Parts: sequence; structure tokens; C-alpha cells
Amino acid sequence: MRRQRRESRVHERYLRHSKKFPNIWCAGCGIGIVLGAIIRAVDGLQLDKDDVAMISGIGCTGRMPVYVDFNTMHTTHGRALAFATGLKMVRPEMKVIVVMGDGDALAIGGNHFIHAARRNIGLTAIVVNNLTYGMTGGQYSPTTPIGALATTAPYGHIEQPFPIAELAVAAGAAFVARSTVYHVRELEKYIARAINVEGFAVVEAVSYCHTTLGRLNRWGTAPEMMRRLKENSVTLKQAESMSEEEKRGKIVRGIFVEQEIPEYTRLYDRIIERAQQRTSLQVETA
Amino acid sequence: MDELAAVEIIERKKVHPKHRLPRGHVTIFPNWCKGCGLCVEFCPTGVLKQGADGRVIVAHPEKCTACRWCELHCPDFAIFVTDVEPEEVVQ
Ligand SMILES: Cc1ncc(C[n+]2csc(CCOP(=O)(O)OP(=O)(O)O)c2C)c(N)n1
Ligand code: SF4
Ligand code: SF4
Ligand code: SF4
Repeated sequence: MRRQRRESRVHERYLRHSKKFPNIWCAGCGIGIVLGAIIRAVDGLQLDKDDVAMISGIGCTGRMPVYVDFNTMHTTHGRALAFATGLKMVRPEMKVIVVMGDGDALAIGGNHFIHAARRNIGLTAIVVNNLTYGMTGGQYSPTTPIGALATTAPYGHIEQPFPIAELAVAAGAAFVARSTVYHVRELEKYIARAINVEGFAVVEAVSYCHTTLGRLNRWGTAPEMMRRLKENSVTLKQAESMSEEEKRGKIVRGIFVEQEIPEYTRLYDRIIERAQQRTSLQVETA
Repeated sequence: MDELAAVEIIERKKVHPKHRLPRGHVTIFPNWCKGCGLCVEFCPTGVLKQGADGRVIVAHPEKCTACRWCELHCPDFAIFVTDVEPEEVVQ
């Protein structure tokens, strides 16, 4: 069989060389891996950089747009989807990619998240799920597992975590997928598919934060936490034949939903048309 | 030798690891490498090693199969693999 040749160093055409490198993230942090996957996905789709926008809130993940030469907005904590909604309304032809941490997307930004899904506005939401508030030092987030230690849960966490992908499905998103930074080729494929979806598309990229939550819980170094992603994940297909007990603690990877439902800015265009028709009718009859 | 025949030879070499020829050429940008160890830990053939300062060095270039695990997982874009042309390998 012939090996497929791939272009190396694709990212060089996408990074902002005026920025300081190496990047700000801790050595071995998965956020950089997600950034690589996004860049390769965009490159594979042959999109023009000017037709792509990357928007973030605040957090370690929120630093991502700083490094890429798309149209970028680094906004306030939790509000990335709100800013992105505004942009999509005035530039519906633009591919708007929103990158958020799990705290950003589901704690302070939780309402924006479910309502963007419910509206089905054409954004690509990429949630880097590292199970914690990384930037501020390992406080528990809406995805921290029960029993884990966090700086705000020194005796162990007692709240149930949100399953991001399942939540997005229930809220009505057009496309929802989950993968991990270990399964980066799969992640890249899902991101590319999500960008092409007409409607709200969510990709949950499971990662880790070895320097805060990982250290507190003695989960090990970055390579060790990476290995956990490999060993603790199953595909949707495998999960189908597993009992609830067997599935506990496993990361289920795959495409959870892919459906064609009317996209918000398209529907809004029709509203504009209708309103214009009515006013012109009124002008005629006046 | 045409390219297809050369590729066949490489595939055959895959079966005999002792005689395996390099199929990927690894480049490291030490200024961007933070020495996280991800690539060293996961390279399936043990090509890479951490140097005295923690940054990665190519210890066994001849073992690289160009699987690209390192390139795709480096969070710092500090390591790259280029395919070695089949013709180059055969010569
Ligand atoms: C309105 C507001 N509240 C709180 C903060 C403090 N803050 C900064 S980042 C952050 C959470 C970061 O966690 P997450 O969104 O999961 O991203 P990560 O750093 O883990 O990638 C918080 C609470 C803030 N900057 N603004
Ligand atoms: S604090 Fe955690 S999430 Fe933030 S850069 Fe470091 S490892 Fe990554
Ligand atoms: S994965 Fe990248 S940053 Fe980490 S040790 Fe390897 S080359 Fe260096
Ligand atoms: S391409 Fe694969 S075999 Fe070659 S150095 Fe990287 S991880 Fe190792």
C-alpha cells in the first residue's frame, strides 16, 4: 500500500510570527495540540484565512486566537459565544470558530452555550475539556469528576460533572462530536466536519491540565495523563455493547449527532425579507 | 527503478526491522521545544531522547517510520517529520 504524503509544517502559514514563541502554555499542555488540529482542519478545507474567525473568552484555552492569523477576537470570560453570535449575524458567510475552556463554555458561559445550540446558529464551538479552571489554578469546573480534589474542593468534589457532548445534543445542536488530544487525527477530522456544518456544531476535545488538577490529584506528568486518555476512552460503537458499570469513567468518542436543521442566520434573512415585503406593501397602499 | 517498486521494497523492509531504512527525517526546533517528553514517551520506535537540558534530540534517526505521532502531538510545533523519498531510501 502506498503511504499518503502529507504536507509538513502547515501551521507556519497560519501562526502569527509577530507573537512570542514558544507559546504561553505549560510544557506538554494539550491546548497546543488542539490548536494544531484546528489549523490542519482549516488547511484541509482550503479556506481562506480571511474567511475564518476565531473567537475566545478568557482562560488558558482563551489564549489560542492570539497565535493564529485568522480574524480573531479575545473577548471576556464566558461571553465568546455571545460575541461570536454578533459576528455571525453580520457576516453569515464567515466560518466562525469559537474556542472555549470547560469553565468558559459551561460555567459562566453555560447559558450562551445551550441557547446557541437551541437557536442552531452557525458557529463551530470547540470546547477544550481539561476538567478544571486551568488558568486560575485548578478550581473545580462544571466537568470536574466527582471525588477529585480541586483547590476549591480540598476534601473532594461532590458535584456531578456535565457531559458536554450529551448536553449539546439535548440542547439541539446540529453536530456534536467528542474526541481527545491523544486521538488527534480523529479530532482533526471532527473539527473539519464541524466547520462544514450549517448550524451549531460542537466538538468536545478532552484534554488534561497536569500542572493544576493533575498535580493535586497525583495523576502524573503530561505523558502519563496523555496515556490515561488513550487507555480510558472507547468509541461510541464499543460503548453500545458495554454496561453502565463498564462505561463509568470512560471517555466515549465519536459523532453523537449530525442533523440538518434550519440555521439561524438563514431564518433571520427570511424574517428580513418578510419585513421588507410588508413595509413595501404598506408604502404602496399609502 | 520506478517509484512503486521502490515503495514495495520499503514495505518489505518493514517486515524486517533489522534492515529497516529510515522513512522519515525528523527536524527539531530546540527554541520551541519545552521538553515535555510527549514525543519521547510515545514514539513507537524510540527515535527520540531528551538531552541534558530536557529538550529533545534525535537519538536514532534510522528508526523513524514517519508515523508522525510526534509532529501531530507536539503542543509547541517544535518537531517535524518529512517523508524520505523512496528513491533516496533505495540508493
Ligand atoms: C468575569 C470573570 N470571572 C472570572 C474570571 C477569572 N477567570 C479567568 S480564567 C477562569 C477560568 C478558566 O477556566 P476554563 O474556562 O476552563 O479555561 P482553561 O484555563 O482551563 O483553559 C476564570 C474563572 C474572569 N477573568 N472574568
Ligand atoms: S495551567 Fe493547565 S490548562 Fe493552563 S496551560 Fe498549564 S497545563 Fe494547560
Ligand atoms: S512534544 Fe514537542 S515540546 Fe514536547 S518534548 Fe517533544 S518536541 Fe519538545
Ligand atoms: S515520526 Fe513516528 S517514528 Fe518518527 S520520530 Fe516521530 S513518532 Fe518517532
